[in-house]
Amino acid sequence: MLAKQVLQFRELLFQEGILFCYSGYMTEEILSSIGNTLKQKMAMDKTDKNIARGVFTLFVEQVQNVIRYSSEVEPVARQERGGDVELRYGLLTVGQKQGKYFVSCANMVARQDVERLRGNLTKIQGMDREQLKAFYKEVLRGATPEGSKGAGVGFVDIARHATHGFQFDFHDVNDEYAYFCLKAFI
Amino acid sequence: MENILVEATDRTPQIQFDFAQNRFALRGESYPEDVAEFYGPKVRALAAHIGQLSGTRIEFHFELIYFNSSSAKVLIGLFDLLDEAAENNEVEIFWHYEADDANMQELGEEFGEDVARASFRMVAKGA
Repeated sequence: MLAKQVLQFRELLFQEGILFCYSGYMTEEILSSIGNTLKQKMAMDKTDKNIARGVFTLFVEQVQNVIRYSSEVEPVARQERGGDVELRYGLLTVGQKQGKYFVSCANMVARQDVERLRGNLTKIQGMDREQLKAFYKEVLRGATPEGSKGAGVGFVDIARHATHGFQFDFHDVNDEYAYFCLKAFI
Repeated sequence: MENILVEATDRTPQIQFDFAQNRFALRGESYPEDVAEFYGPKVRALAAHIGQLSGTRIEFHFELIYFNSSSAKVLIGLFDLLDEAAENNEVEIFWHYEADDANMQELGEEFGEDVARASFRMVAKGA
């Protein structure tokens, strides 16, 4: 029964073309390990170098988004190098279906942030290559946006590498949180 | 100033800042856990050093395999710093990339567009 259940779960993943699936707390160590394995897998498959780089970029930017911004966060468990170490929950899938690679991440966000995120993503989705390039440089040169722990340029980088575009969606979970999912294709 | 030599790791590049020769290089992967912590002190030392140079030849080699978007912000800051230094120094920037790496080539060309005073050379490897 146990094996059958898990096998069904595995088949569900395989039907979706999923090569990697991780649901849990995202850390930089997880990023390193899955990232290295993903590189190895693509090298073994002799994936085109530029496609492999693109997939890796989508992976790094999306996982770092979860590590930095997921609203599903454990209370601070320990301190390291003078800073709080937080554990943030997210769901990552990397796969290949109908000749395209995809990288998807999902995590909780505060409902008050949904409109800002939706606005940003819609704006980026509507840009062509030249506009994305100009916007990429503009954000890189600008001050780091409020509430951002990175350069705030991750979504633009994702859009630039997602040669087959990206999808995103929000689903309200309760008064406070919404579930956010982004899926980018190469 | 004491030279800065940092060996590469899986996620951080080799850094060679030779302040006596004014030869600088970043080589490898760049997606550090904490970009500010990794680059901050080194870039500040570089900026302080370069800021007081004049009539000097400065060479900076970028030989990156991959860099994430937070590292890109550091890179663009370095190009701005070098371009500014080129007002009263001879500054040469070299962007090394694998010949079959269209992405690194494109990124180099894009960064190069914004460098006005320093020389910015694209160097294809293994062509």
